[in-house]
Amino acid sequence: MTVNTFIAKETWLYRFDPRAKILLLLLFIGWFFLPITLLGLTIALFLILFTAATNPGLSFVYRTFRSILPMLLFMVLFSPFNVRSGTPLITIHSFVLLTEEGALQALRLGLRFIAITYLATLLFATTPMHQLLLALQWYRLPYKAALIITLAFTYIPFIADSFAQIEESHRLRESDDRKRKKLSAIIPTLTSSLVLALRSIPTLALSLELRGYGRANERTHYHTLESYNHPFTDFLFSVILPVILFFIGGIQ
Amino acid sequence: MKKERSALSVALIGVLTAVVVVFTLVVRIPTTKGYLNLCDVAICFIAFTFGPVTALLTAGLGTAIADLVSGYAQWAPISFIVHGLEGLLIALIVRSNPNSIMRILAGAVVCILTVSLGYFALSALFISTVAVATAEIPANMVQAGVGVVLGLALSKAIKRAYPPVSSLSW
Amino acid sequence: MERLANSTTNSLEVTQLSFTYHGWGSEQPYTLFEDLSFSIQTGRKTLLLAPFDAGKSTLARILVGGIPAYFPGTLTGTIHLAGNDIAEVNIFDLVEEVTLVTQNPQEQFVASTVEEEVAFALESMGLPQREMKERVHSALTHWNLFELRSASPGELSGGERKRVLLAAAEAIDAPFWILDEPFDDLDEEGRVHLARVIKESDKTILLFSSRYLQHFDGLFDQSLLLDQKRIVQQANEDALTAFTTLCGDDELTVLKQQTPLQEIPRVLRVEHLTVERQRFSTTMIDAFHLEVPALTVAQGEIVSLVGPNGSGKSSLSRVLCGLDEPLGGRRMIDGEVVNSSVLNRRVGYLFQNPDLQIFLPTVKEELAYSLKRIKGISSTTIEQRVQECAKLFDLNLDHTPSTMSYPKRKALQAAVYYLLDRPFYILDELDSALTYQAALKIITQLRGRGAGILVITHDQRFISYLNSRVYAIKDGRLSEV
Repeated sequence: MTVNTFIAKETWLYRFDPRAKILLLLLFIGWFFLPITLLGLTIALFLILFTAATNPGLSFVYRTFRSILPMLLFMVLFSPFNVRSGTPLITIHSFVLLTEEGALQALRLGLRFIAITYLATLLFATTPMHQLLLALQWYRLPYKAALIITLAFTYIPFIADSFAQIEESHRLRESDDRKRKKLSAIIPTLTSSLVLALRSIPTLALSLELRGYGRANERTHYHTLESYNHPFTDFLFSVILPVILFFIGGIQ
Repeated sequence: MKKERSALSVALIGVLTAVVVVFTLVVRIPTTKGYLNLCDVAICFIAFTFGPVTALLTAGLGTAIADLVSGYAQWAPISFIVHGLEGLLIALIVRSNPNSIMRILAGAVVCILTVSLGYFALSALFISTVAVATAEIPANMVQAGVGVVLGLALSKAIKRAYPPVSSLSW
Repeated sequence: MERLANSTTNSLEVTQLSFTYHGWGSEQPYTLFEDLSFSIQTGRKTLLLAPFDAGKSTLARILVGGIPAYFPGTLTGTIHLAGNDIAEVNIFDLVEEVTLVTQNPQEQFVASTVEEEVAFALESMGLPQREMKERVHSALTHWNLFELRSASPGELSGGERKRVLLAAAEAIDAPFWILDEPFDDLDEEGRVHLARVIKESDKTILLFSSRYLQHFDGLFDQSLLLDQKRIVQQANEDALTAFTTLCGDDELTVLKQQTPLQEIPRVLRVEHLTVERQRFSTTMIDAFHLEVPALTVAQGEIVSLVGPNGSGKSSLSRVLCGLDEPLGGRRMIDGEVVNSSVLNRRVGYLFQNPDLQIFLPTVKEELAYSLKRIKGISSTTIEQRVQECAKLFDLNLDHTPSTMSYPKRKALQAAVYYLLDRPFYILDELDSALTYQAALKIITQLRGRGAGILVITHDQRFISYLNSRVYAIKDGRLSEV
């Protein structure tokens, strides 16, 4: 199973300092909750999609959209029912199905939903995990937390793999030619996977200590954020862009 | 000299977080209405077997990472809060006596309420609307209920199948 | 840290060490060492031989302070390592004094890429970044890992992972190395390289092994045997013979040909098979194909399959037992083409890792599990068969598999399949962590019901005891030897 969110390319968003990217993400998310005009929201979304298409690429854009499509449709279909007042657009036998305000609000929610999805996935697609964790540590995330997250990502494939193989072992132990019930094997399968995972904990802890984790002296870092050449301009950009878009979009 | 075992908490939380992620993403039981994922099973198992802080961190981080990796990044902070709270509360309730029926039932109720109400409130506020969030409540409740039952069963099974689990405390 | 005055003469001093594992549940606490004493002079290279169940990995962990800190048990006696009393220091305090390379690489990885793994200890030591980069670069190059530096551990083969651990040890540059079965998993080139590194090094080296390899000749200043829970000194020349006697491997007899129990033995045969082998890595995602023109296993016979690591032995096994589909060709039993789900029930595949095939909390439940799912067997019959089986495989019904030793878990795995009574079995690298004697015993037991057995191994010596037909994989093609 892949847990890799990073898509390896070299375009401009990849060279953008991750610390500034995180700031930009947060500012942009906040921005989308402001009462900006629908036109402003659309322009912003268009910019985001353009960035996504030119950085990780079109297939990324397509895949992300496909994964949120069910939720999006669900939202768009149900949201209009929220707003009961306003100019009716669709009526069935004097029962107001859809109002103009309802439609507009659904549109707004939809735009926001799509935008935030792309913003968040863009961050992870254009920044390798270890750089992201370094950036978070710059924002005062403790090293211990970064190490825990790294370990979690390292162990996910291992646990998923053993789970798959344990399921296969069940297949090999079936006796009859009848169709077996998957459910009855679920507790032993889960138990077995858990035991395997739990057994690795003391050995992992010992390995960490053998490699010096826990020493009193300060840890140094093998990786740095030095490869990002222009952090200051990136930060400036992150702050200025939402402001500019705010004035372009205008308040509704 | 008693050894510090400084790395045990890191290893424990790291691996258990991975377990939560795998249970959420890989393990799926087909039911009449589609698929149930087992994240609440994992969280309840951890809450019944380990301490409150472990349950809080693994549940929160695990579900957040699972959301992230499957392309639902905007749910990550919500999952972190809701499931983290779920883990924390259940672990606190059953901590003093994991075998008491009263406590288990209380834990079950808290679990179901936390998940369904938590997601409802936060989704309605930040992602969608009240109407949409309401539609998700029944599914969340079923999943949480199944989570408690299976999580408890697993906790008991693991204590038999792997007795050293009791030494994994920090 | 305070150091003792004689720290320059002995890197390691073990005095009257006794250790008993904590007994979980109904198990009796098991004593591994009793009054064990030995010492190692600084700069000397020592070989410690012990049969597979004797506890050498436990001893390695005890020496660095990992037991009983992380694995409960009762420890008495004293250990001084590099002048420090192990009981008085934390494990991480010794990172610059001693490096342990464990037998199982999987359990020792802490980082998400190869170069981070090599750098991790250096970060803990607080080295400046420039020096870290130099050391990591140099270590990766020496161990031929530079191209793989961004690969994650899951993408590496067993041999590559071992090399990463050895590279990490080199980068740390501690004066004392404890190596637990380092030659295991490495391919021939890696072994030659490791032997040379050991020979040319001026470090103090303690190497544990359960197999005497020809690479050991002339490498060590002293040999120790772990026998009857104590250490026995041995002259280098006698080490091999003494060890072989200890393992019981000098009493091995070659397995006899067996007349099949069945009147008409069933035959498993594949023809013109193409198997896809997948190997993922950051540098290349390539799928090689393994061509199998013909392979036959009949009930009652033993057939061996040899091939280097990564040649597709496991992929072929998965196709033979119906876990995967072949890209082309036919799989037949008794001349009739069969599909995967039939193969699931006819061919028992014993994974190399037994823990993936054992699920239940006690041996008894484990053995009864499969029998219970067969229709029409009474519970008394189940009880009876389970008892017989446990006796045959020397297993205690009340024990918990997760705390049993590895050879016992392997025996349990075999016992489970024995009760399933499959006509064919595939044993994947059975001999890799068992004495030859134990491995041969399992094969004999499984044959007891007349099954046909395919043994996968890369140990030529083991094959010589099997008296079997041999298939070999070379350059993506299988042929009979």
